[in-house]
Amino acid sequence: MKKVKMFGMATLALFGSTTAISAVAPVAASAARTKVVLWDGMTGPYAKALDKIVKGYNRSQSKYTVVRQSQGNYAALNQKIMAAAKSRTLPDMAQATYTQVPDYQKENLVSPLDSYMLKGSDKISKAQLKNIYPGFISSSKWQGKYYSIPFSKSVRVMLVNQDLLKQLGFSTPQSWNDLEKIAKAAKAKGDAGIGFDASFDMELEGMSTAAGNKFVSKNLKVNFAKPKVLKAANTIYDMLQNGEAWTAGADVYGTNRFAEGKTAVYFSSSAGVTISASTVKKFKLGTAVFPSYQGKRATEFAGNDIVMMNNGKKHQAGVWSFMKYLLKNKTTEQWAESTGYLPLTKKARNSASYKSYLKKNPLFKAAADSLPYGFQATAFSGYNDYRNKMLTAIDAVTAKKESPSKVFPATAKEMKTIISDNK
Amino acid sequence: MMNAKQTWKGSIKGWLYILPMLIGIAIFSIYPILKSFSMSFYTDYQFLTDTVLARGWGNFTYLFSDGDFHLAVVNTLIYVAGAVPLTIIFSLLFAVLLFRIKWLSGFFRTVYFLPFVTSTIAISMVWTWIFNARSGLANYFLGLVGIHPIDWLNDPKYAMLTLIIISIWKGLGFNIILLMAGLGNIDKRYMNAARIDGANAWQIFWHVTLPQLSPTILFVFINGVIVDFKVFDEVFAVFGGQPGPAQSAMTMVFYIYQQFYVMNQYGRAAAASVILFIMILIVTVLQLLISRHFDYRRPTKVRKAKGGVSL
Repeated sequence: MKKVKMFGMATLALFGSTTAISAVAPVAASAARTKVVLWDGMTGPYAKALDKIVKGYNRSQSKYTVVRQSQGNYAALNQKIMAAAKSRTLPDMAQATYTQVPDYQKENLVSPLDSYMLKGSDKISKAQLKNIYPGFISSSKWQGKYYSIPFSKSVRVMLVNQDLLKQLGFSTPQSWNDLEKIAKAAKAKGDAGIGFDASFDMELEGMSTAAGNKFVSKNLKVNFAKPKVLKAANTIYDMLQNGEAWTAGADVYGTNRFAEGKTAVYFSSSAGVTISASTVKKFKLGTAVFPSYQGKRATEFAGNDIVMMNNGKKHQAGVWSFMKYLLKNKTTEQWAESTGYLPLTKKARNSASYKSYLKKNPLFKAAADSLPYGFQATAFSGYNDYRNKMLTAIDAVTAKKESPSKVFPATAKEMKTIISDNK
Repeated sequence: MMNAKQTWKGSIKGWLYILPMLIGIAIFSIYPILKSFSMSFYTDYQFLTDTVLARGWGNFTYLFSDGDFHLAVVNTLIYVAGAVPLTIIFSLLFAVLLFRIKWLSGFFRTVYFLPFVTSTIAISMVWTWIFNARSGLANYFLGLVGIHPIDWLNDPKYAMLTLIIISIWKGLGFNIILLMAGLGNIDKRYMNAARIDGANAWQIFWHVTLPQLSPTILFVFINGVIVDFKVFDEVFAVFGGQPGPAQSAMTMVFYIYQQFYVMNQYGRAAAASVILFIMILIVTVLQLLISRHFDYRRPTKVRKAKGGVSL
């Protein structure tokens, strides 16, 4: 019996599918309406905010009833989707990262949105499409078709210890040159200037993209070991080596260490601003847009999209109807204000009410100001495999203190193999 | 009934009694095992439709050339070799002590057993705090004796040690209970006889208690090896969902998890679990064979050696 248990992984897949089935409990809906099921990874205040939006949608029309079912965190959500796919109990739509789309599409788990989004009576106009920030909508497309709409999106921002910065005699950093100076000054005082989460991959890809090289280009060329990427990586590596910067390691997020007050600038997701604001007690907290690198600014978006699942059911019109509702200026603004996620459209960002919200909540302004500079990493089939290799390389730099020029070339080779194997 | 003659009717009745359990085992244990074996040969597989496009040894050849997998195997072996003997030594020590002191022994038994009934994830949170490099308890105490703070969780050199310490602590309770039961089963007359012959406490422990306890120790050992080969929860929780700094705590089950759930490489994950299965099987069989030479309670060994009588 004991030996049996080591097959936990395979067994879990089976158990997973049973849980998924039970999750789709029948919900009372009026007979005339079609029930449309949404699986998401939202919990706590985010779940409440989404509930409010779902309620709003259900009230706004009489054809569909959206039922949201939280599956826990994103990892659990992804696992349940795979299990549900196996037991043919997929929901009608689900939250997913856009980087998951190529693999989902390969497994035939998702349906393209084009026939609803671009054609038919309920399509969105070109003006509406243009209204969505290009950094978001560009990643919704895979192999020429739309598979997702952006939803819960965040961006990298700087959290600033304003008191320490003042003591050191600096103003809010605008560029990586400024940051290097701050880091040196802080180190001379016995503090660390800059803090990162466990991995600095998103900061590095921001710098590399500003310099002209994403880790993987749009046409799937691997740039991870290109001089521009290595140069940017060395900037961070040198700071880490000199004790001018730290990474959060097993803490995963650097919030607690930053809150201790001995770090001038900490790179965080804009989705973490709320938590940091409540954790920081010792000093005046500020936020700032990701710094420019070599005169250019690029900051990486993260977060989740919503995809239409290929479950063989005929609820797709309902799914699209809800997606369209989420992209409305009013809805995305409400979502952004209640969660701290980014508004998805330009009109929502520039609306008077959102501007007045930012006035009342100035810590969120940096994220909103980042919108024009936002980009997303290239997605492709095998992305998870690729990302794992990329994070391992970054980890070797932070934990083993190996130089990027030593680690990255071998990783780039592995990345190339992954991409060609998955073509 | 116990002595009833075996009849067809009786057998069928017996099978019916255990049928519900057998069905459960067949569905939730036997089937997944067989499926894992067959999945390990899927080289091109569509998960959703369950269509296998190609089969072969590809997953195994990948594993044999994958550095991460080699690392996982080596780390697992180090972990088992470090954690199992140490856990047994400490458990034995505490069991013997608890067995001797009657006062408060129930209290201590409960205290040592607590880790076993506590959720690994919750306990790991406490350990991450204890091992925190800057504000943790471990470094505070080390600081008192003048040792520089160690970055337990982020230094690749210490990550495995951290895991082993947690494993020892976690394994104590269960092993102590088993060993104490074993100690209780030893006939007091052996010890009395030894005492009359002039043996001191250490001699009694070494020549009487330990040999008499060997079946229990063997069970604890085999159980420990199997459990530790499958270490996963602690790694996941202590290192924030990662296999330790610079993969220094990458274990085989973590590797399987990563291949299955993170990378969706089902064939590779199944192949890795088949290898893990074979490794545990080999180690367990070896242990059983070796233990026969040390089992002082098996009269068959002597008989076998002398007259070749087999049972």
